[in-house]
Amino acid sequence: MHSILAVDDSPSMRQMVAFTLKTAGFAVTEAVDGQDALEKARQKDFDLVLTDQNMPRLDGIGLTRKLRESPKFKSTPILILTTESSDQMKQAGRAAGATGWLVKPFDPTKLIEVIGRVIK
Amino acid sequence: MPTADEGALPLHVAAELQDHLLVAGHDLDRLQRLLDDATQTLSTCFYTANHLLTTGTTIDVQRQLSEALTALQFHDMSTQLIAHTQRRLRGLADRIARDAMDDDEDGAAVVCEIPNRPNPVTQDEVDAGSIELF
Repeated sequence: MHSILAVDDSPSMRQMVAFTLKTAGFAVTEAVDGQDALEKARQKDFDLVLTDQNMPRLDGIGLTRKLRESPKFKSTPILILTTESSDQMKQAGRAAGATGWLVKPFDPTKLIEVIGRVIK
Repeated sequence: MPTADEGALPLHVAAELQDHLLVAGHDLDRLQRLLDDATQTLSTCFYTANHLLTTGTTIDVQRQLSEALTALQFHDMSTQLIAHTQRRLRGLADRIARDAMDDDEDGAAVVCEIPNRPNPVTQDEVDAGSIELF
């Protein structure tokens, strides 16, 4: 079973993302912000990271940058799921090493399709 | 009534404050449309799913629930819209207070900065957003 680290500071979004991923057969670990995600990523391996962008303490782009510094997450797919849709933010995400940029709200079927395409 | 020399804001400050207030007003309009759209979508999903429980297939019901899950994300978008607007209004209030009363006697007044960037939430509907793989 593939494991996914789902990161969002909104409890309702975390709940919906986790529900969608678990229903599709993934094992899900939740983190409340980028800092929490970093700590969980140090303790465990994940096949994919799905993260929000705007969060307290450490945002999604900052988290991506930090994860890419670690050999463990060099090639792990990182998807940013956010309300942000500006090209400037997308380019910043790409430069940080993100695999893709998904604008909220997400469609559960399409989210699972995209994860299926990028997960190893 | 203040005279032209006392109490009146300089023109450039008044124009800047007006711009920020108009942006806050537009953000609230968008919030209203977002809530209207989410409520409409959720109501439709609820009644359709309820009808499909007796007339449709499991896949039909799942499709309705999936659409409802997309609409339920209005809470996250609304929360971000409100938070950004609150920061803008708080920054405006602090700016007006600072311009009217100057810094306090202990030094610089504590001022909440007005956000420079536009609200990150640009959506006013709960249709699924775009997907881009790099």
